[in-house]
Amino acid sequence: MLAWKLARRELRGSLASFRVFLTCLAIGVATIAAVGSITSAINAGLAANGRALLGGDVELRLTHRFAGAEERAWLDAEVGAISEVVSFRGMIGAPSGERALAQIKGVDGPYPLIGTIELADGDVAEALAVRDGVFGAVVEQTMMDRLELSIGDALRLGTNDVELRGVITGEPDRQASGIGLGPRVMVSQEALEGAGLLQPGSLYRVAYRLVLAEGDTAERLRARLDEAFPDAGWRWRDLSDPSPGTSRIVERIGTFLVLVGLASLAVGGVGVSAATRGYLERKTETIGTLKALGASGGLTVAIYLIQIMLLTLMGIVIGLAIGAGVPLLLAPTLRDALPVPADFGVYPVALFEAAAYGLMTALLFGLWPLAMARETPVAVLFRDVVESGRRFPRPIYLLGLFALFAALVGVTVVFSGNVMLGGFFIGGLVAALLAFALVARIIRWFARGLGRRQKITRGRPALRLALSSIGGPGSETSGVMLSLGLGLTLLSTIGQIDANLRGLIAGDISESAPAFFYLDIPSPQKEAFVMAAKKDSAIDRVETAPMLRGRIVKINGEVADPEKIAPEARWMLRGDRGLTYSSTPPEGTTLTEGAWWPEDYTGKPLLSFIEEEGRQMGLKIGDTLTVNVLGRDLSAQIANFREVEWRRMGINFTLVVNPAALQGAPHSHIATVYAAEGEEGRLTRMFAEDFPSAVAIPVRDVIERTKTLIGQLADAVRGASLATILSGFIVLIGVTAAAQRRHLFEAAVLKTLGAEQGTLMRAAVLRYLFLGSAAAALAIGIGALAAWAVMTKVFEAEFAFAAGSALIVGVLGVLATLFTCGFFARRMVAVMPAQMLRARG
Amino acid sequence: MTNPAIILDTVSLTLQSKAGPVNILHDVSLEVSAGETVGIVGPSGSGKSSLLMLMGALERVTSGRISAFGQDYGNLNEDGLAKFRRENMGIVFQSFHLIPTMTALENVAVPLELAGRADAFDAATEALGQVGLSGRLDHYPSQLSGGEQQRVALARATVPGPAILLADEPTGNLDGSTGALIIDLLFGLQGSSKATLLLVTHDEALAARCSRVVRMADGRIMSDERGSA
Repeated sequence: MLAWKLARRELRGSLASFRVFLTCLAIGVATIAAVGSITSAINAGLAANGRALLGGDVELRLTHRFAGAEERAWLDAEVGAISEVVSFRGMIGAPSGERALAQIKGVDGPYPLIGTIELADGDVAEALAVRDGVFGAVVEQTMMDRLELSIGDALRLGTNDVELRGVITGEPDRQASGIGLGPRVMVSQEALEGAGLLQPGSLYRVAYRLVLAEGDTAERLRARLDEAFPDAGWRWRDLSDPSPGTSRIVERIGTFLVLVGLASLAVGGVGVSAATRGYLERKTETIGTLKALGASGGLTVAIYLIQIMLLTLMGIVIGLAIGAGVPLLLAPTLRDALPVPADFGVYPVALFEAAAYGLMTALLFGLWPLAMARETPVAVLFRDVVESGRRFPRPIYLLGLFALFAALVGVTVVFSGNVMLGGFFIGGLVAALLAFALVARIIRWFARGLGRRQKITRGRPALRLALSSIGGPGSETSGVMLSLGLGLTLLSTIGQIDANLRGLIAGDISESAPAFFYLDIPSPQKEAFVMAAKKDSAIDRVETAPMLRGRIVKINGEVADPEKIAPEARWMLRGDRGLTYSSTPPEGTTLTEGAWWPEDYTGKPLLSFIEEEGRQMGLKIGDTLTVNVLGRDLSAQIANFREVEWRRMGINFTLVVNPAALQGAPHSHIATVYAAEGEEGRLTRMFAEDFPSAVAIPVRDVIERTKTLIGQLADAVRGASLATILSGFIVLIGVTAAAQRRHLFEAAVLKTLGAEQGTLMRAAVLRYLFLGSAAAALAIGIGALAAWAVMTKVFEAEFAFAAGSALIVGVLGVLATLFTCGFFARRMVAVMPAQMLRARG
Repeated sequence: MTNPAIILDTVSLTLQSKAGPVNILHDVSLEVSAGETVGIVGPSGSGKSSLLMLMGALERVTSGRISAFGQDYGNLNEDGLAKFRRENMGIVFQSFHLIPTMTALENVAVPLELAGRADAFDAATEALGQVGLSGRLDHYPSQLSGGEQQRVALARATVPGPAILLADEPTGNLDGSTGALIIDLLFGLQGSSKATLLLVTHDEALAARCSRVVRMADGRIMSDERGSA
């Protein structure tokens, strides 16, 4: 109680000293709270709109085939309502003759079972219905723009014509239907009949959206379905996770942005530590007096710990208010901008996470100076400089610090849900902070050494003053380096990775990439396609391969469960994988283990698998994989592993089997067409005439879109890093302001000794220029190192130092320090010596 | 009187405080000859330190004029005043006012470096030797005792060979024997350089070592006596 009373008395009138403390803590907590609130809002939105997103209570999906008559009859009998939707990529022809890739969706009468398809004008069922013998189609605005269409236009769809009757403005089940490469075109299934698009072997998916019969549950239905058709190869999706892809992406981006927010808290921690230390230094005499009056060391710590805790709570409350409030305020704008539904509100778990991070960071950074203050000897009351004899806090406090750090790591790992990511991030943060602290020491040592070299400083008093200010006791070097360093490091890392990824796509990938992928070339037309391609002078090369899709359903007879394999390889089991057959290793194949089957092999099915994912899945030569192809299970033994270089963008298949294994299975072909740039339009039209069902994917378009996507992602992370940079800047101002009194005093003394204003200004500019450049240089170095690791280890690509991005970081670092210098140095230069010296006694 | 070093002509100083303007000095006039040693005594708040600040060109007068060696301070801008101090004055403060980020040697060398002297560090080393601190060249102020810090300050004030030496309670923060040592050094350095010395003190005995004693009270000169020292 005594500690509480004294703490309250002490804190009165001291709030102004804690502006940096409160601001830094509030920014960090607000960032994490805002990211958490938005992520929670999206997850809640997904959950609340699950039925509309899914288009029913359950979705069953088949690849390459419609449900058989027996299956359909079973479903009709067992469920309350059913709607069948087929989706595939296809080409749409405009009256002008132009062609464009589209994501085509063929719907039946009952569609949509749940929710409404919104059109700019009119009703979807009417729009799709047959009118004067012609079926209708509705498309997304992007398609209208791309082909310069108008309502009423006749659209070519395979060998059929449909009439354009509306523009889609809302499609709740869009995510469930898969995000395709082209804009959406929706027609009725009848409109597709006779169009030649849905042939055996062509790549299409059929989704059955089900509304459960009354009293039935998804679990019970699933059990009955599995019993009735154990080998049907359905992909099951229900309301427990209506949009798994979306929620996974939201979760991942959310986790990553929270970690970026944590970086801003770490920078804030530097501010917390500096503010606490500064406050306690000013309280040295008070502490001495309290001790002289009989206060124990423990009581002293308690008094100031209570104050720090009160301030921390205040900072957290401010941060939470901003972090929860801003998303609520921006909800209308965010709702429009987000491609998924979001229920904005106050999410206690997200706020708790932010508060927990804030509390631990403040304590972690505040405890050291607090523990050192305990050692303040009473002798400070009598002499100016007294050594306490301790360089480190007592073991109990060190233990406390260690426990806090361990708790922070633990909480990060738990909240991020990813031991590697959380661990690496915290490790990286600590390493970066230590690197900046270490380099700050080296800079001080270097500045002291340089300052003593009369050859360098003779006749350059400004340089000497700058060097002694950087190297001398009480210098703000560490503060400036730590405050600026982390923010600049984040920027530098993002900049380097972004530039390298863009370079990778623009260089390596673009150069070796084909102009087109052609999908769904019917087997009987394959030879004609190749011939047509070879005849055209603009085409350098064409390669084809049989193409099927299959889903890995069992590994060595056991049901393939994504949760049982390494996270990085789970995507292998989550959807359909490309499957082909070949009697010889495809061109450019490098076998890493095992051997290829003989050309005329007709024995038990054998399989070639990609090496890296195979290893991640724990597979070995001789293991059996069961792949569901066209509703039938194919079990094959792994004969070899092969290396796949995805970047080459040629024809790469996850699974290759011996030809006999797929004998009789209907399939289409895939082709890569290598052609000069600028020929895409003409070639699309040419192939569309003769091969109406073949789907052209213009690779250069995809590359451009990927580049844009990477840019957008980098911008999002840059946006989240702003909090770190802002915190860093505030800490920098705090550190500079704390040093300002000393600099004013020094300026007054130097003026007394005859220093002119220009000399003082030059010294200040040099000091900040030096510190800003050093922080930026180190940030660029660490950023390049981190980007190198990401590029070479994650993307397995070359790393090239991006000078442009580094230059931006360098300029930012120097500008930040010079701005701060300009802000404070003016007062320093203008100070009248007598004012300052009188104040100091 | 010959060769006036400093002339104060009806000088007043008013400072602004939160409670309103405070009149520190009222119409003070004083003429100090070159080579003279002047002790300025008076109770706390009598304006003696402010008078020294004005003579050291560390503060601007509210009214009146101050000149040293014929140079009117009013005609100089900030940089002009700094240059004038650099070339003509050495100042010692009660609180030493050493720069904490510089070693003893660097503190002493600063005025010489500012004056562009190539031998700044050699001269500073010698000056520190004269005050008995040859063994403390690389120590920072926080590593020195009060007496040592004041000796560094004394070396710093005298090393450029100023014509005017201003000392504001130089022993105020020191114990008796250390203070006496500093005063002996101060007078010794003044004697060898024949600089004009203005010494602010509340110690009558110390003031009596000066050739002239000016007494102040309430911002005015109450008496001005020339002694035998």
